[in-house]
Amino acid sequence: MRVKRSDIGLVLAAILLVALTQVVAATDSPKPESSPAAAEPTVTVIDGAAVRGILGRTVQGADGKDMGRIVDIMVDPGGQVRAAIIDFGGFLGVGSRKIAVSWNALHFAGAVKKRDDIKLEATRDQLKAAPEYRDGNPVVVIGSTGALETLDFPPATTPEK
Amino acid sequence: MRSTRGLDWFVFFLADVQTGFGPFVAVYLTTEKWTQVEIGLILSVSGLTSLLGQVPGGALVDWARSERLVAGLAVALIGVSALAYAVLPIFPVVLCAALLHAASSCVLGPSIAAISLGLVGRSSISQRLGRNARFASIGAGVAAAVMGTFGYLLSSRAVFLVTVALAVPTVLALACIRADDINPDRAHGAIPRTDNKGPSTTSIAVLARNRPLLEFALIVMLFQFANASMLPLVGSFMTTQSASWAPALIAACMIVPQIVVAAMSPWVGRRAQSWGRRPLLLIAIGALVCRGMLFAFVRDPYLLVIIQLLDGISAAVLSVLIPLIIVDVTYGSGHFNLAQGFVGTATGLGASVSMVFAGYLSDHFGNEIAFLSLTASAATAFALVWLMMPETRPQIAHAQE
Repeated sequence: MRVKRSDIGLVLAAILLVALTQVVAATDSPKPESSPAAAEPTVTVIDGAAVRGILGRTVQGADGKDMGRIVDIMVDPGGQVRAAIIDFGGFLGVGSRKIAVSWNALHFAGAVKKRDDIKLEATRDQLKAAPEYRDGNPVVVIGSTGALETLDFPPATTPEK
Repeated sequence: MRSTRGLDWFVFFLADVQTGFGPFVAVYLTTEKWTQVEIGLILSVSGLTSLLGQVPGGALVDWARSERLVAGLAVALIGVSALAYAVLPIFPVVLCAALLHAASSCVLGPSIAAISLGLVGRSSISQRLGRNARFASIGAGVAAAVMGTFGYLLSSRAVFLVTVALAVPTVLALACIRADDINPDRAHGAIPRTDNKGPSTTSIAVLARNRPLLEFALIVMLFQFANASMLPLVGSFMTTQSASWAPALIAACMIVPQIVVAAMSPWVGRRAQSWGRRPLLLIAIGALVCRGMLFAFVRDPYLLVIIQLLDGISAAVLSVLIPLIIVDVTYGSGHFNLAQGFVGTATGLGASVSMVFAGYLSDHFGNEIAFLSLTASAATAFALVWLMMPETRPQIAHAQE
């Protein structure tokens, strides 16, 4: 139970962090590659209308069709968000599967409004060949062009023993 | 007759209430920002409860003197659990609601057959079960349409509130069944006594030595093992083929068998009396064998939907024959509902193992091997019926009990 609570905390923290960097990137600096904040204990107050959680939110494809809901976020050891896991396809739970889509292929312009969807730069038919995401297996991520790429963590960022 | 009409509507609405919100639980909890781990835990707890609760549920229905009261309470508890999901989706509340929902379903399954048997007796139970299957199938279809519409137009929370609302007509329909019309001894599969010695029941150990019952449970388990993961496998295959059409095609794959059941089950009820049980059982399992073979090789999505007609045939026959054969082989023991719980456990076990097994085979060896393995299980069930299962139709038609 305790492990699970901290899991939720992690996910929420990840989402918040991502949303925060998005907002910072969108409003303040034109540089998209703003480095993550150093570990200084500071308090930041964000306008409540400027950020919103994305877990459980629906994702809309390039053709406006429903692509499923975000159920998880993948980060690398550097804390960078690499992919989102969406629950894709099917009807009433039959035939749906979890697939990983590249974080870069997702657009959050409408994400802060409750009713607006998050946009994905791919159509349903581009996602149809994507293999199911499974914990422990190599993660195959759908890129913005609909191409499949294997998500490998750069060895430079893995902590050395 | 008022009571049989009441039973029609009870079966119809119960299908809505009982199967209604199940498919929406995962989506709803996802929108409530639950993690996959927690959702998985809830679904496992619920699955395990509905597996382990079958035998106690059946025993409870056998023990109770009023099936109506037991069924009414179970419906009310499902209403409460749906309300709990809608109002307070936090872990402890949802866990309790899931337990309550699963446990109530374990009681409701046997209680429909028990009320039917108590109402019409053994002589016309076959036709009655056919009628039940028709109303249950129409109910489940209407439920899917109504819930789907509410879920789509409003929110997945609305689905749970619709379930709460539907519990009301379910209980009203149940109230239309007059208590005096249900003979409790008959409902438990005991032979009603005319003297004042009370119900004639036997020891539970009689069931463990009831060979036809054990054989039938094994056959049903093999059938479910083959059957349960076929549609999910087809569904996954469809989403990898044509993602834009997949949801509509999967919906069609679910609706087609329901229509067949609604159309065909009363006929099955009549034929079970005139032809006997064995030929129908062979047709049902034979249809599954054909379906498995076809699924292994057919790739066209529209043909896959048409193959689902065979699923309808199997479902129409078995929804009548499972309770009917249990009546046949346990009549006189007074433990009809316990036996239903026992066969229900076998069914559930077959289904849950099937998912794991077929998923593994499909991942590692492809869909063809998965479908052929499932077909082998169906063929084994067919051979067992052919070689072992006796005809259980009563030799002399019981004129009036």
